[in-house]
Amino acid sequence: MTVYLRQVAAIVRKDLLLEVRTGERLAAMGALTVLVAVLFHFAIDQGLVRMQVLAAGLIWMTILFGGMLGMGRTFEMEREQGAIQGLLTSPVPLDGIYLAKVVSNFVLVTLIEVVALAAYWLFFGFNYGNDLLLLAGVLGVATLGFVAVTTLFAAISAQTNMGQTLLPILIFPLLVPVVIFGVTATGRIFASRPVQEVEGSLYLLAAFTVVALTAGTILFRYVVEE
Amino acid sequence: MPAAAAPRAGLPVLEAASLVRDYGPVRAVDHVSFHLGAGEFLSVFGPNGAGKTSLLRLLAGGLRPTAGEVRVSGIPLTVGDRAARARIGILSHLSFLYGRLTARENLRFYGRLHGFGDLDSRVPDRLADVGLERYADSPVDTLSRGTVQRLAVARALLHDPEIVLLDEPYTGLDAYAGAMLQELLSGLKEGGRTVVMVTHNLGRGLELADRVAIQVRGSFVFEAERADLDAVGLERSYRRAVEGRA
Repeated sequence: MTVYLRQVAAIVRKDLLLEVRTGERLAAMGALTVLVAVLFHFAIDQGLVRMQVLAAGLIWMTILFGGMLGMGRTFEMEREQGAIQGLLTSPVPLDGIYLAKVVSNFVLVTLIEVVALAAYWLFFGFNYGNDLLLLAGVLGVATLGFVAVTTLFAAISAQTNMGQTLLPILIFPLLVPVVIFGVTATGRIFASRPVQEVEGSLYLLAAFTVVALTAGTILFRYVVEE
Repeated sequence: MPAAAAPRAGLPVLEAASLVRDYGPVRAVDHVSFHLGAGEFLSVFGPNGAGKTSLLRLLAGGLRPTAGEVRVSGIPLTVGDRAARARIGILSHLSFLYGRLTARENLRFYGRLHGFGDLDSRVPDRLADVGLERYADSPVDTLSRGTVQRLAVARALLHDPEIVLLDEPYTGLDAYAGAMLQELLSGLKEGGRTVVMVTHNLGRGLELADRVAIQVRGSFVFEAERADLDAVGLERSYRRAVEGRA
């Protein structure tokens, strides 16, 4: 088990180090996030629309599109010089490679969420509610589910000529539970509703995330094995 | 370089038993069989599309055979077999290295995947084995093709594999880098490693080999002991084999 965790940690560390050095994915994701916030700032007449009502939807839309932009390139760095073969023929179990990719993508998308929350607060003065811990919990669980599904499908789309074009087509139907329950729970937190009104959505998000992670861990082998 | 671990007595270290691999209707590897003992070097020649790389991926456990099996010291190799993977090293014309990481970081990364705890001594030793100590902290992107290939040798041998699989290791190397790689590869035999190399380069392949095979359209159409063959004989056999199946 210790060796397994060390192997997973080695891949996560390598992925994040490469991201720090190249900034390829973070730059694209961050730019999209800020750009969307700026566009809405100019597009929406805040005198006519009560922005707080739209807050959860805008933030989740930004996270989903920004996250997908970066996660579509999850396996790009492994294609360079055939590094994916180095990973697949190493003693790391295939589910370990999948979990490592999920963890590194989770870190990247979480960073983008922080940027999105900051950008919307800056441009619209959104009120994120009284319970920031609960907000972090909802965003964390929903993001893990989102990342678990998208990482698996990024591995599939990386093996096709259509690549990133294919990813949104494959993935959007599967993300419906994250969108529905994520937006619902986040909206209620922003409206400072009682915790009991958020719990239902949070449990459903948690169930989705457990199923997505389990399925990804099992199915990844069939995606990369030939 | 350190010697490979001793194989179990009496058993071939690497064995291919009637290996077949199909990609849809195309048969890439067609009933290939051979066995190699410790320290034996097999060179496999063949034209483009002969199925050489598929054969090597089957031997590495990176590809599932349609039929037949690979055995490592008598034990069938299955895809995802972690213990067997730890006994096999792969060197390709692709380095499997990350360009934005330094030579040292790349080796430490692969060392962690193998679960080694002695990376502080193992990595400098491997870099010294291939004469790259002074490039330890250089990003791989900044190194020449020949230097990268030497680093790839260090990566492939980082875990002291008993079996080394070489896929066109000379591709893109100039004469000097090629000669240096040849020297490194001849060290593998002396270290008791079992080696399979697939290559287009008849001269280099013959120089190192104990046995040679020519693969055309998936199957071995010619096999010989090195002692029974010279360069002219190999070239004649190669031409005959390729033209005969064209």
